Amino acid sequence: MDIYVSNEVKYSVAEDNFGNRKLYGLIEETHDNFEVTVSGTAQTGLDIFEEYSAFPAAYSLLKVHTSLTAPGEKIREYHKNLELETCSGDYEKALRIMHTLHYTFIYDAGATKVHETAENALALGRGVCQDYAHIMLSLLRMEGIPARYVVGMMQGEGSSHAWAEALCNGYWYGFDPTNHKLVNDDYIRVSCGRDSGDCSVIRGSFYGCVTQKQTENVKVEERN
Amino acid sequence: MNELIKNAETINRLLARYGVKFGIYKNGEFKEQLFPFDPIPRIIKNGEYKFLEKGLKQRVNALNCFLSDIYGEKRLVRDGVIPEEFIYSAKGFLPPCDGVTPPKNIYSHISGIDLVQSKDNNWYILEDNLRVPSGASYPMIARELQRRSAPDAFSETGVVDNRNYADMLKEVMDYVNTGGINVILSPGRYNAAFFEHSYLAEKTGAVLTTGKEIVCENDNLYYIDYNEKKQRVGAVYRRISDEYLDPMTFYEESVIGIPHIFEAYKKGNVALLNAPGNGVADDKGIYYFVPKMIKYYLGEEAVLMNAPTYLPYYDNDMRYVLDNFDSLVIKDVAEAGGYGVVFGNSLTKEKKAEFISLLKSEPRRFIAQEVIDFYDLDILDTDGKRVPRKADLRAFVLSGSETKVWASGLTRFSRNPDSFIVNSSQGGGFKDTWVLSR
Repeated sequence: MDIYVSNEVKYSVAEDNFGNRKLYGLIEETHDNFEVTVSGTAQTGLDIFEEYSAFPAAYSLLKVHTSLTAPGEKIREYHKNLELETCSGDYEKALRIMHTLHYTFIYDAGATKVHETAENALALGRGVCQDYAHIMLSLLRMEGIPARYVVGMMQGEGSSHAWAEALCNGYWYGFDPTNHKLVNDDYIRVSCGRDSGDCSVIRGSFYGCVTQKQTENVKVEERN
Repeated sequence: MNELIKNAETINRLLARYGVKFGIYKNGEFKEQLFPFDPIPRIIKNGEYKFLEKGLKQRVNALNCFLSDIYGEKRLVRDGVIPEEFIYSAKGFLPPCDGVTPPKNIYSHISGIDLVQSKDNNWYILEDNLRVPSGASYPMIARELQRRSAPDAFSETGVVDNRNYADMLKEVMDYVNTGGINVILSPGRYNAAFFEHSYLAEKTGAVLTTGKEIVCENDNLYYIDYNEKKQRVGAVYRRISDEYLDPMTFYEESVIGIPHIFEAYKKGNVALLNAPGNGVADDKGIYYFVPKMIKYYLGEEAVLMNAPTYLPYYDNDMRYVLDNFDSLVIKDVAEAGGYGVVFGNSLTKEKKAEFISLLKSEPRRFIAQEVIDFYDLDILDTDGKRVPRKADLRAFVLSGSETKVWASGLTRFSRNPDSFIVNSSQGGGFKDTWVLSR
């Protein structure tokens, strides 16, 4: 894996409690541009379904709602209409959530804010992959199913993608409600957490009185 | 004693000159006001103090065990002592702290435990403050000034010398220090307790900083002085709340924190006093479970009692609360500093119905307690007459190589004769606390 960080920043490496690795550092000099490029080869399709054996308390956190996934009136009503009690297990519940959400929620890149709550997005009825994933997490957690938010990449998309993972029968399964697909070897996982807040691709702050602009570019090519 | 009363006014004037002030927010406006000092001390007899000391050490030890367990193995949850959701839904539970062990495995280095004495002379724990408890500096400086004004009063009565607080604090900082200097991190001049930050820095020899002089590099923390000399920091007594401590880990908009300080802490390269995440242990909902914790971790019965508390979360308790609503005080678990406290009998009929429906829809958010009939302490009113007022006691318990109780404390009283709320953020005053040596 190759990492390029502009401005000759000396960076450190850290890991958060969901196992995501991150680089961090500080630029003391004045600057008007900052850039990070990570490139490399990812191998997919080896173990699509991760078996879960850790101490149960470690995933308790993933059963708890965050401020972004906390259900409100809209989600509660939506949840009731799903009639999940007629499903035969957690996996089937997750499938039904993905299916219904895909066909009732409209993809619209301009409808929601960066950190929109699941409740607001559902009330709007439209949003992006992040909103699909948050709503799905909210519904899964209402069923007591540990669920996590995943940021990753797919071929043919110009930016990062997001989906949900649910712990069913001891395995983590990935569900992509935006594309109505079970996560397979087309997907490259980058990070995971309780919601999008844990999985930001980049985060930071600066002192200064200027307006800032941020761009993100993702390119995935298949190699055999 | 008469000497002390005579000098009360001078002492208050000196306190004002030294800047012993407390900032309060009223109707959204920040106001700085003096923290009025009353010359009549609270006196705790030696035997009584020994009892309090034993109970306080036990309680703080159990709370430290709890924090270490909750951010580690979580045996307490596994063994069903506390329902899981009480932990994870507590505002003070910080997920980034999960799995992080602080230097020497101490979470609460400085604990402020609030107690009250009832009319029948029993002591009750009112609440635990394990995040950034303030207040030790007020009795420290008041005692210093009083000793100057009436030295005899202290040698004759056998009052335990309490001038060791700074040494105790320094000992704790040195004990957890990972190699480097000690600093006190303050949000700055406009913080409610800025006097305390500067006073404690002066007394302990730690460097007072607002964070602007501190950088995190290569997973280490450095203090850069006015000469641009860089010194490694080994312990930070931070007087900034968890949310604002590190904009990269917690509240992104914080401008008073230090970016990446949490990473240095996580890798064991700096000690933070108190550890981030302690809020889960002084949550008002968790308070209910402290006697159970003492039993679970230490195998002992609690020496000091909680005020009788009910958790509406449990059906039986909810029924009791609804049946006895008028005689109880209801507290919002997310609030502190005397905010979010409702006395059942003070509500109008409509307000009461409104509150009860809120209670029913969010039972986890509230606890209910019996109103304790306080043992009143005399204070001097403005024309020099002794009048009884409600008062509490904040005891300071320090945990380093061992757990120690400071033989003093902050006695706060309410200046309003009808009020039970003594918090300084609500405009109360304070007294010296004398522990007798015999």
